Amino acid sequence: MNGWTGYILRVNLTAKTFKKEPFSDEFARKWIGGRGFAVKILYDELAPGIDPLGPDNKFIVALGPIAGIPAPNTGKAVVAGKSPSTGGYGDGNLGTRVAEQLRKAGYDALIVEGRAAGPTMLVIDDDKVEFLPADAVWGKGTYETNDWIYAQYGKGVGVLNIGQAGENLVRYAVVRSLEGRAGGRTGMGAVMGSKLLKAVVVKGTKTIPQADPAGMKKVGYDDLREVHQIDKKAGWSIQSTNGVLAWCNEVAALPVRNFRKTHHPDAWKCDGERLNNARIATYGCPNCTMRCGITIHDEEGRESELDYENVGLLGPNLEIFDLPAIGSLNYLCDDYGIDTMSGGCVLSFYADAIDRGAVPGDYKFGDAAASKLLLGAIARREGEIGNILAEGSMRAAHKFGHGSIDYAMQVKGLEVAAYNCKFIPGMALAFGVSPIGAHHKESWVITFELKQSVRESYGPEKAQKVIDLQRIRGGLFEYIVSCRFPWIEVGWSLENYPKYFKLVSGLDWTLDDFWTISDRIYSMIKLFWLREYPQADRRMDYPPAVWFDPTNVDTEGPIAGKHLEYDKYDGLLQHYYDLRGYDRRGIPTKATLERLGVAEEGRAAEKFGKLS
Amino acid sequence: MKITVKLIGPFIQVFGFSEKDLDVPEGTTADDLIGLVSVDRARPKIVTRNGRAVVPGEALADGDRVVISPIYSGG
Repeated sequence: MNGWTGYILRVNLTAKTFKKEPFSDEFARKWIGGRGFAVKILYDELAPGIDPLGPDNKFIVALGPIAGIPAPNTGKAVVAGKSPSTGGYGDGNLGTRVAEQLRKAGYDALIVEGRAAGPTMLVIDDDKVEFLPADAVWGKGTYETNDWIYAQYGKGVGVLNIGQAGENLVRYAVVRSLEGRAGGRTGMGAVMGSKLLKAVVVKGTKTIPQADPAGMKKVGYDDLREVHQIDKKAGWSIQSTNGVLAWCNEVAALPVRNFRKTHHPDAWKCDGERLNNARIATYGCPNCTMRCGITIHDEEGRESELDYENVGLLGPNLEIFDLPAIGSLNYLCDDYGIDTMSGGCVLSFYADAIDRGAVPGDYKFGDAAASKLLLGAIARREGEIGNILAEGSMRAAHKFGHGSIDYAMQVKGLEVAAYNCKFIPGMALAFGVSPIGAHHKESWVITFELKQSVRESYGPEKAQKVIDLQRIRGGLFEYIVSCRFPWIEVGWSLENYPKYFKLVSGLDWTLDDFWTISDRIYSMIKLFWLREYPQADRRMDYPPAVWFDPTNVDTEGPIAGKHLEYDKYDGLLQHYYDLRGYDRRGIPTKATLERLGVAEEGRAAEKFGKLS
Repeated sequence: MKITVKLIGPFIQVFGFSEKDLDVPEGTTADDLIGLVSVDRARPKIVTRNGRAVVPGEALADGDRVVISPIYSGG
């Protein structure tokens, strides 16, 4: 089976057993890999209603047909499971040597089941699997854990690990890799922690089966060079993702003070220009052509790797504009294994809730020192507040009451990324209908909204654009498993990906073939949610209420007096459902499932929730 | 009339400034302004005037803030 190794490694931590399981050509071609493999496996193997932090959940690492092969930005892996933050399907991707090493070990995916008797490091070395004690680093941060692993195995191995947040089941704990990478903000670090799985180490020596290895090698290396040259000419990686901060500030899209403000006169202090000036080093993922990880010295003199999302949400969103201070908060999140985005949103929600009298407390916006202490309390679940905030903003809001759920900046339990949609209807829709909660990786539509559409519009063109981007970003790049940056940031043609796919698999597919796969996977994720929440309706796809609040409007700037409107947003949501072939609850119709080749999975879901 | 021009991202390195005030004749359009600050016309970009995307040929007014940015795509 060219393009795939043809095997999945299934490991049971309770029984300390493992099995190398073959999968069929049909499975490979229908689900491709990454998110496709993950959702199909989780749908088939998890009983609805299981505790995401119990032994019945499964932790999956899934790769795709071009993952790990030298070509532009293929050093990525998908991590997935039932999400502790949302209760639905959850996943994320991160740069890691696991992408190459697991494939070389002979597997396209890893399924981890059960719960270990004690802290465990899983070591995969080709056909050998070991369950080794990890007591020495249990309770330690991700940096120390990483160093401990490197000291034993060298730096060339693939590593996934968790910090104290994952161990203590913080619902937005991430999985970490290399020195600065993180993924699985839907709580995949907590899923690892619930299994007492501190780390996964992978070494492989086999050849990844490819239809035309010589052709792929030539094209892959040529394209690695070419994308690097394009980036050098474009200058994108001078400021990397944080270049967008200044733009968000100009167009009133920056999260400031728990998203209550959309811009701030001090935002320049932490923008891309300042970050570039403070740079001490630059990091990237394996096979990267345009490294985006800019590190600076934080307040304590440590090296902290920043990008836009963590600057935006740990900085202006907390009304902190000092880069080293933001660097410190980011370092702590990375070391504890807390998602920087959710971490920032949870802290801002807490400060806002205190401001509005929903809960007593001393924590205030702008207080970096207190923010550092709170992150530690969250990671260790220390005290009542540490414990409540470790649950995420949605659950904290239910605890605090007093209407605070309206300004808990989350959708379905996952906190929103750093784009303030107080008056950006299409991006609000993108957050609303993201299949894992409010993540920006699925569809990022702001530039289209401001440049090629009208900001005020709630028209079908925005719903269609959200779908187009979902097919590419949440679809193609999540199942072929590759970084989207060469395409999205420097214009590397999408047509390159069917080309790579053909070289590795021998299959001559078009982008339209891939969009069908994308739609199939999105439908499967919807079915997963239907089984978990059979009574849910379209309100699950609504963004936070504060964006609709007339008392929360900007009083000056480009969107003064503007806010989202419920009836119009609901119309935009209906455009999305109509274009997708979903019913009024946002569930794929039987006809849609039939068209996408998942009618059988639909019939299985009908035991739990109705299909129309 | 006085216009403030702000460049974003790599445009700062390419065109040599981050933000500057310009005195321009009445009737100057956003397109004219792009020529004045030597930003490559062929390069994909998004231009906003006081936080809103400009329409091609739109005339500027005294006190406007014009931002010229590469196309960002949200990482």
